[in-house]
Amino acid sequence: MPDDELSGGVERAAPDPLETGSATSEELVASTLRTADARARVSLPETAALFAVLVVLVVFFSVTSQYFLNGPNLINILQNTARIGIVACPATLLLISGQFDLSVGSISAFVATTTAIAAATSGAPFTPGLPLWVAILIGILAALVVGVVNAVSVTVFRINALITTLGTLAIFRGLTKVASDGQTVRIEDFGDLGISRVLDLPIPVYIFAGVVVAFYFLLRYTTYGRSMYAIGASPTAARLAGIRTDRAIFIGFMLSAVFAGLSGLILLSQVGSASVNAGLGLELSVVTAVVLGGASLSGGRGSIVGTTLAVLIVGVLGNGLIQLGVPSFWIDVAGGVLLLVAVGFDQVRVRYSGSGG
Amino acid sequence: MTFELRARGIRKSFGGVDVLHGVDLDAVGGSGLALLGENGAGKSTLVKIIAGDYQADGGQIQVDGVGYGVLRPRQARALGVAIIFQEFQDASTLTVAENISLGRIPNSHGIVSWRAMRDRARTILDQLGVELDVDRLVGSLRVGERQMVEIARSLSGSARLLILDEPTAALSHHEAETLFEFVRRLREQGVAIIYITHRLDEVTEIADKVQVLRDGATSLLSSVADTDRQRMIEAMIGRRMADVGRPEAPSHAIGERPVLRWAGAGSGEAFEGVDATVRAGEVVVIYGKLGSGAAEVGESAFGIRPLDRGTLEVSGTVASFSRPFQAIDAGMGFLPADRKAGGAFAVRSVAENVAVASWPRLSRFGIIRDSVEANAFGRWRERLSIRSRNDPKQAMGTLSGGNQQKVLLARWLERDSQALVLIEPTRGVDVGARADIYRSLRDLAATGVAVLAVTSDYEEAVQVADRAYVMSKGRVAAELSGTDVTTGQLLAAAGG
Repeated sequence: MPDDELSGGVERAAPDPLETGSATSEELVASTLRTADARARVSLPETAALFAVLVVLVVFFSVTSQYFLNGPNLINILQNTARIGIVACPATLLLISGQFDLSVGSISAFVATTTAIAAATSGAPFTPGLPLWVAILIGILAALVVGVVNAVSVTVFRINALITTLGTLAIFRGLTKVASDGQTVRIEDFGDLGISRVLDLPIPVYIFAGVVVAFYFLLRYTTYGRSMYAIGASPTAARLAGIRTDRAIFIGFMLSAVFAGLSGLILLSQVGSASVNAGLGLELSVVTAVVLGGASLSGGRGSIVGTTLAVLIVGVLGNGLIQLGVPSFWIDVAGGVLLLVAVGFDQVRVRYSGSGG
Repeated sequence: MTFELRARGIRKSFGGVDVLHGVDLDAVGGSGLALLGENGAGKSTLVKIIAGDYQADGGQIQVDGVGYGVLRPRQARALGVAIIFQEFQDASTLTVAENISLGRIPNSHGIVSWRAMRDRARTILDQLGVELDVDRLVGSLRVGERQMVEIARSLSGSARLLILDEPTAALSHHEAETLFEFVRRLREQGVAIIYITHRLDEVTEIADKVQVLRDGATSLLSSVADTDRQRMIEAMIGRRMADVGRPEAPSHAIGERPVLRWAGAGSGEAFEGVDATVRAGEVVVIYGKLGSGAAEVGESAFGIRPLDRGTLEVSGTVASFSRPFQAIDAGMGFLPADRKAGGAFAVRSVAENVAVASWPRLSRFGIIRDSVEANAFGRWRERLSIRSRNDPKQAMGTLSGGNQQKVLLARWLERDSQALVLIEPTRGVDVGARADIYRSLRDLAATGVAVLAVTSDYEEAVQVADRAYVMSKGRVAAELSGTDVTTGQLLAAAGG
């Protein structure tokens, strides 16, 4: 166990090129100089590049589709991206520390279904008929349960986050089906969260904006956010600097679960019912957006601004392709391609900037 | 025919930084060349060019009279050039036999011939006089044995020039002796040897010629018999420097009561029955070879390696740390041996690297301001003469090893640590920056901090210690103080 302490319980996907092989100090000097240059040149233009891509996509779809550029459709895009963005922010935080959560889609379905059943008066396997606010509370509690399972598995049992959350992805999707007996569960009088509008914009858009601001602040100005960067940059060094790494990662998984749950509640409110397939593939959109936004799979880097732009890119692309009449099956294909492209960029970036920073 | 390699006017730059400007090097069968120089002098780059790992930007390499503008790795290997790196390049989950045949496993139509592979491994190991079970997994071998396997692998292609890049860095004294004997035997068989080292003592063991590089050029080329230690050091650092000197006796008061005190302390197999103290204001060294338990004793003060026997007291209170943050709260600071993996956040700013351990004090309601961190960095940059841009946002990774180490010292100074444990404080640090770090440690002690440095470098122990413990086989073998702290005494107590 003491040896584990030093070798670091958290594994890095990509080795630090500065550490591998037999880098001599002259190489180090040279490569670090390159790194400094690269970093100075990269960070701002990277955000600018994402912004440019977004603008290009908007212009492209505006020109090619007559249905794309109008108020209702743009609001529609924002409304759809909001659910992804709310989850992508904590996912960015997690990935910066070198962890990730694939169970977000299952969590959102689990929470939506739990809430719907708790409030149900008919049409469900159980009909407790609890007041709406109690049902929502139960839903949030359900999210916390999944969060604890993920966090304990990763920080206490040291099971790799990929495997852990792949497991909980299956477990809680399955439990959702068990609880609802595979049926779609309706919910009454729960339209406020997802559908109501203020100044023409749906509430989820404001929630999305609030989450973005909160996580921007968290990552930039709090010791918690900074410690997540430190953990991602070097887990052992973080531990030896007195950072309580397990606790930080634990909190990260809890945040991820809670916001995935919130996303599930919004969906429930928008649709008026909880389906067993709710939030299917959410993890794919989220990981795509976070990586496209500049967070590195090898940890230590990432930004909320980048993630936000990337979420919008993913949303615009999906919507635009629909407007162009591309069959939805092909849109799935496009989503996968986008993920691979984003990861490819990450690899290039890691190679050129030396150390995933 | 005697092997002859002549490199002429080798030039190489990385990313616009000139690393070698026109270096010559000769390697002749049956003779040993010791290649010395500080970190960054260009030694490793030069030998990698000779081994074909890098391509030179200019110059020529002649092997047995045939000139090559650039050598490719495959070409170099065909010419009989073999290079052994510091870091193992073996497959730890495969057997000794498999490793020795790696890349050219005997087979017929893709079916491995285990018998031929084992025979080949045994033959080579016998030639080298190494006794090893060829069916053992390489990962289960001791460091020295793994190195032998690496050498055996390089020789199974019948090497005529063997390049060793700091091979003894991780070896025990005994293992190093075995290695020297073995390299000498190869030399007698007509193999040319190029031997890179930091340890001047080793030069006479292996080499008949010595070449020193400084800033990418040759600063000394001589036969070993015609030079001495002082001249080699001067050639390496380019200015006069006293050979291994003792520090002056502290003029400040040394605390009465120990800040750190181990009593009958033991941990697993690592160490046993350790009694040691470090008082406020003194620099104590624990000297011991790798595997002697010295580093582990240091780690036990920081919650990395819990004690299972005996006690550790910090400022008079029994401490049982199981996590570093507990040790930090009790006033401990720690600089690990592996700075890259365990100390520095290379991609984060220098200011953050200084501030990180003090976040609880520097932040308010969990919010930390850049200006506060910048101030923390500013406080120590001057005092520790950290060579960096005057920019708290500069990435830690762009600093040299010595300056990174100073930033890590600043981390604990900012934290106001009362006791500081350093493991191998100058590993990978240039001779020049080394002196700075030694001075910082002495200064630190003068302000009343208890400093414990764990090292496997006896010269370092002599240069920095007020008092030294020598560890061997997990036990304290001797305690030396004052004028007794000499290379001779240290080595004698460590068992050679």
